[in-house]
Amino acid sequence: MKRVLLVAVIALAGCGANDAHLTVSAAASLKQAFTAYQANDRYSFAGSDQLAAQIRAGARPDVFAAANTKLPDDLYAAGLVEKPKVFATNRLVMAVQPDSKIDALGDLGRPGVKIAMGSPDVPVGSYTRQVLGGLGPKLREAIMGNVRSNEPDVAGVVGKVTQGAVDAGFVYITDVRAANGRLKAVELPPPLEPQVAYAAAVVKGTKHPEAARRFVDGLPGASALSDAGFGRP
Amino acid sequence: MLSLEAQTTLGGFELDAALEAAAGECLALAGPSGAGKTSILRIVAGLHRPDRGRVSCDGELWLDTNAGTDVPPEQRRVGYVFQDYALFPHLSAWRNVAYALPRESRRERALELLDRLKIADRADARPHELSGGERQRVALARALAARPRALLLDEPLSALDARTRAHAGRELATALREADVPALLVTHDFAEASLLGDRVAVVDRGRIVQHGTAAELAATPGSAFVADFTGAVVLSGDAHPAEGLTRIALDGGGSIASTDTAAGRVAASVHPWDIAIAPPGDPAPGSAQNHLHAEVVSITAIGNRVRLGLDAGQPLAAEVTDAAIRDLGLKRGSRVTATWKASATRLVAL
Amino acid sequence: MRPFTALLAVALTVALLFLVIPVAAIFANTAPSDLIHSLGDASARDALRLSLETSLIALAVIVLVGTPTAYLLATRRFRGRSVAITLIELPLVLPPAVAGIALLASLGPQGIFGGHGPQLVLTTAGVVVALTFVSAPFYIRQAQESFAAVDPRLMEASRTLGAGEARTFWQVAVPVARAGLLAGGALALGRALGEFGATLMFAGSFRGVTQTVPLAIYERFATDFTGALALSAVLVAISGALLASVKLAGRRAFA
Repeated sequence: MKRVLLVAVIALAGCGANDAHLTVSAAASLKQAFTAYQANDRYSFAGSDQLAAQIRAGARPDVFAAANTKLPDDLYAAGLVEKPKVFATNRLVMAVQPDSKIDALGDLGRPGVKIAMGSPDVPVGSYTRQVLGGLGPKLREAIMGNVRSNEPDVAGVVGKVTQGAVDAGFVYITDVRAANGRLKAVELPPPLEPQVAYAAAVVKGTKHPEAARRFVDGLPGASALSDAGFGRP
Repeated sequence: MLSLEAQTTLGGFELDAALEAAAGECLALAGPSGAGKTSILRIVAGLHRPDRGRVSCDGELWLDTNAGTDVPPEQRRVGYVFQDYALFPHLSAWRNVAYALPRESRRERALELLDRLKIADRADARPHELSGGERQRVALARALAARPRALLLDEPLSALDARTRAHAGRELATALREADVPALLVTHDFAEASLLGDRVAVVDRGRIVQHGTAAELAATPGSAFVADFTGAVVLSGDAHPAEGLTRIALDGGGSIASTDTAAGRVAASVHPWDIAIAPPGDPAPGSAQNHLHAEVVSITAIGNRVRLGLDAGQPLAAEVTDAAIRDLGLKRGSRVTATWKASATRLVAL
Repeated sequence: MRPFTALLAVALTVALLFLVIPVAAIFANTAPSDLIHSLGDASARDALRLSLETSLIALAVIVLVGTPTAYLLATRRFRGRSVAITLIELPLVLPPAVAGIALLASLGPQGIFGGHGPQLVLTTAGVVVALTFVSAPFYIRQAQESFAAVDPRLMEASRTLGAGEARTFWQVAVPVARAGLLAGGALALGRALGEFGATLMFAGSFRGVTQTVPLAIYERFATDFTGALALSAVLVAISGALLASVKLAGRRAFA
């Protein structure tokens, strides 16, 4: 039943779309880069985990692009997508307001500092917890105690920091760049920095397999991605 | 003594009225609907503030637009019976009555009032469970509860069916007498006005066009409007069945017949234009059953017709043509026979 | 059956199917054991407790301020009245995301009133503010209609019987309009229980502090569809019970 309903919803959403255009489910952090990459496609930007859950529930976009490799790999193992391709890397950073006094990870443990991060299931949240896992238990507990919101996607974390609702948030370097000076990036200590790799896959059952494969194959090294600050895989 | 003078703009016309009513007196405001009668009640109650005006009751000033006095409705203590009664739908009959009473012993006092109006057995019923007549009595009890200094009644009988109306009218007359405060009663029915009002003020388009007793108005209407509006003349008497008809022995002598059935005290009404006038003595043969000897007390011309005020033991009015006056040589003091059909005589039990 | 009647019947059938099937599907996909298991989860209980608390506080605030507001709008005519009504109804047609932005722009740390008074963003109080903002119009509109439907002569009768304006309000207007006020309260509470977008933007999502049931459902959707279904089922049950009790109370109002 749930499968039928979700398919119905997606079908309705797709009504009127030009068949030549692809429907792409992509991580929220890819928003700027993807809209520059192929402006005419239909994008659904959200937390990668939410998008993966939609595909598991029966939604059928043409392409799925996640902020990690695990979610596409899982869907591949479940037979829902074709073999994923790693197409970009990114860097997890702390985002603060430009005039912020926070300039190191250790500052986040101070009392009264407010922090936003992704929820544990969304890639940015899981990377963040991976970083914190590398800290001593005392600082880790102090930082976790300062968390005020677990956002469903990275856009939520960015919004909370730019609005001043929190003092710092864990986001990707590309998000700081996209904020046009309204955010400052504080880099993480190199030994703690996680490997952030983005993978995309053609969803099985797509009506436009050729166009979808062209989309995925063209991603590595695309100027839209490097302009936005993504690294080559 | 309740007195009012007010000028204010209503819908399409100007209300300009002045009136007085003494304690124990009921002044009926009669006129077609939309004439401004209800607005007069609302001004007295403090629910409508006129552009200019003055209202006082028992020497206490309620409204004076010149002096800037405007006592709020809750401090005027008028008993207002609204058209359709406006009973509180969420309260039982006794709680409706008790609404105006002080907290202590209010149930006793409310039940006492309901008992006086003979509906104590319906004390716990909600308004929607009551009949029209029961609602009217609860509304009256509620208006009387806080010992009002004036009573205002807006079409108190018009929501009732004909049978209930006569009975309710009689009770209302008793209640008004007992209350012994000035009362204003609004009605569009001249017969009702003449039954319940000690005096009647005819209201048309915001003005009191004429006032006096019902008999005076019927006998000497000041205008064609009043002549038409006054309509039926009311005679009281005792009814009993006779020869397939109802015979009524009139108060003050004489007897008439009606095709309506009734027994006991009744009000008999007949329209002035249904009454024919003949010279005194034996009536001419014809189909009319009713013949009363009468004396002409007034002659009032209204356009091409003439209203005759008659004294037939009780006041009576007839409407005839100018030609008839000349032919019969009628003048004040002439003796005549008033004749009309039994089938033109309506009876209402009193 | 006449053709037009048949057309009406078809419309009703379509409407019922479309509105009922998705809700029924929630229960069809939720085994009772899932439900119990899901409610046994501490984070689900936190979300339920928080949702009920914040929604009820919001409702209390709405009723307290909204009832006199609605009464004024329904019973008095004054300059700017229709403008006031339109402004009050505006949040009804605002997308929740816009409501969230509006709250941030006004009460957020960088908003026009930011920095003054208590910090609301990312706090439980902030959830209450967001819920109040989006649900108040539902109550005020319904309450205003209910007060306007009270026969003005009932209030005038109260005045002539010696009751001032305040007593008339409490003892006549409110009890007579009760059914409508209850319905408005239920609408507002239902809207508050279901609020998602404005809450997420203004108050964020943190278990036990700002994560209400809809936010918890959304979070679970990615990893635990069954859990999300179970929590949805609970929300449907609560909202359904709310609606049914209001209908019942409304029917009994004058019985």
